[in-house]
Amino acid sequence: MNRESFVPPSAGVSRQNGVRYLCASCAAQVSLTKGEPVRCKECGHRVLYKERSRRVIQFEAR
Amino acid sequence: MVDIHRDYVSNVSSTDFPGNFPGEDHAWDLEKFKSNFNVSISQLTERTSNFDLIGIDTSFANAFRRIMIAEVPSVAIEKVFIEQNTSVIQDEVLASRLGLVPLLVNPDSLDWMVDPLHLNEAHNVENTVAFSLQVKCERNSDGTIKNENVYAKDLKFVPFEGQTISPEPTVAYEDILIAKLRPGQEISLTCWAILGVGSDHAKFSPVATASYRLMPQISILKDIEGEDAIKFQKCFPNGVVDIVDGKPKVVDPRKDTVSREVLRHPEFEGKVKLGRRRDHFIFNIESTGAMTPAEIFLKSVAALREKATVLQSCKLE
Amino acid sequence: MSGDVSMADVSVGNTEEIAVEDDKMTILPGMASDGSAASFKIKDEDHTLGNTLRYMIMKNPDVEFCGYSIPHPNDNHMHLRIQTYGEITAIEALQKGLRDLVDVCDVVENKFRDEYNKGDYVQEEIA
Repeated sequence: MNRESFVPPSAGVSRQNGVRYLCASCAAQVSLTKGEPVRCKECGHRVLYKERSRRVIQFEAR
Repeated sequence: MVDIHRDYVSNVSSTDFPGNFPGEDHAWDLEKFKSNFNVSISQLTERTSNFDLIGIDTSFANAFRRIMIAEVPSVAIEKVFIEQNTSVIQDEVLASRLGLVPLLVNPDSLDWMVDPLHLNEAHNVENTVAFSLQVKCERNSDGTIKNENVYAKDLKFVPFEGQTISPEPTVAYEDILIAKLRPGQEISLTCWAILGVGSDHAKFSPVATASYRLMPQISILKDIEGEDAIKFQKCFPNGVVDIVDGKPKVVDPRKDTVSREVLRHPEFEGKVKLGRRRDHFIFNIESTGAMTPAEIFLKSVAALREKATVLQSCKLE
Repeated sequence: MSGDVSMADVSVGNTEEIAVEDDKMTILPGMASDGSAASFKIKDEDHTLGNTLRYMIMKNPDVEFCGYSIPHPNDNHMHLRIQTYGEITAIEALQKGLRDLVDVCDVVENKFRDEYNKGDYVQEEIA
C-alpha cells in the first residue's frame, strides 16, 4: 500500500462490460454502457445511483 | 487509620515518615517491610481476581493500578482496510468499533511497532496480526434472512506469509455485535492489530477495569443492646455484623460497603467509629481476556521496577 | 529502536542494556553548592512513578524535604525536589530511593507469586 502505486481508471472502461448502477426506486442492479438510455431495466425509473467503489480505503481504528 | 465521619473523611495522608513522630523510627527498613507485607488472594480465575495487599503504601497500590490500566501492553486492531461497506454503519464508525473488540492475542508474541500511524511499510510478520471480515446479508429461498447480524466471531484470523503465531489469534468474546445488515448489504474488510498501551488509546487497556478499595474498619466503642443491636446490624450489609449474646459483633468488615448508614442515627452517636485501614488494599481486577489478572498484575509490578531501573541508568550532568 | 525505552522489556531478569534518551532526567538550575538540595526534571513520567519515588525518598532519615510536581498536564514531564540535612547529597538520596523502590517491587512480586502458587483461593467465577 503506497501512494505512488495508485493508477486512476483508464478511459477504456466504457468499452468493457458496462458500469453498474442501482435504481433509486427498486434497488435493482443496472448495467449501462456508453450511449444507452438512462433507465432502470426493471421499473423504468430514470434516477440511478452509482454503486460504492471497491477501492480499498484505510482507517485508523480510533 | 482513615477516619470516616458523617460528612467528611479525616486523617487521610500517610504519616509514616522519619521525623513525624518524636521517638518513633519510620526510616526505610526492607526487612521490616518484608515481615509486615502480605498478599492474600481470595479469588483468581482466567478473567477476574480479587486479592489483598496488606502493609504497603497508597503510592504503590495506586501505581500498580495506574500501570495495569494504562501501561501494560496488549493487542488491538489499529488499521482497517475497507474494501466494501454498504451497511448503514459509517466506515469510520465501523473501524472504531473494530478497534474496541478485545482480542485473544498473547502480547509477548508480538514486537513493538515504530510509529504505526504514519508508516504502513513498518508492519511485518513479527509485529502485526491480521483479521478479515467478510459478510454478505442475503435472503434465503424460504424467506428467512442470512447473516443479518455481524458478530465478533465473524472476524477470522488471516496469517501473513510465513507467520507462525501460537496459539492462533481469535476474539475474546464471540457474541459482540459489530453491525446489523439487511439483504443486499455487504461488509468486506481486512484489519491489522498491533501492540499498544492504554495511555495511547483505551482499546489497548488489558483490563476491563482494575480498582482497589481500602479495608473498612468498624469499631464499637460502647455497648449496644436489645432493639438497638438489631437496628445496628441492619445498618450494615448482610454478614458484616452478627448478634452475639444480644450484643453486636463485627465479624466480616470486608463485606461492608461503608454506606455510613450508622452515622445517620442519633442512637448510635459516640458508640461506633467508622474508618478504613490505610495500608490494606483490596484489589479487584477484571481482564478483557488476553492475559490472566495475575499476569497483568505481575507485569505491572515489573513495569514499575523498569521505570526505576531506567532512571538508575540515567547519566546526570 | 535505539534511543527509545521499550515497554516490552518487562520480563523479570532482563539483562539487556536499557537504552535511555540523554535527557530522560536532568538537574534543574539552582542546585545547592554542596549538592544537598536539587531539583530534577524527569521526562515521560507522571504520578505513577512520582508519588512512589517521593514516598521512598521521604523514608530516608537524611532527607529533609522531598516533593514532586507536574508543572502542566499537557507537558509530559515531572519535577522532583530533594533537600537533605547535609549528610548526603540529593543525588545520593535519589539513588537510594530508586534502589529501595526496586526492592519493594521485588518483595511484592515474590510474595504474590508465592501466594499464587499456593493455590489457596477460589478458582471459579463468582456469579
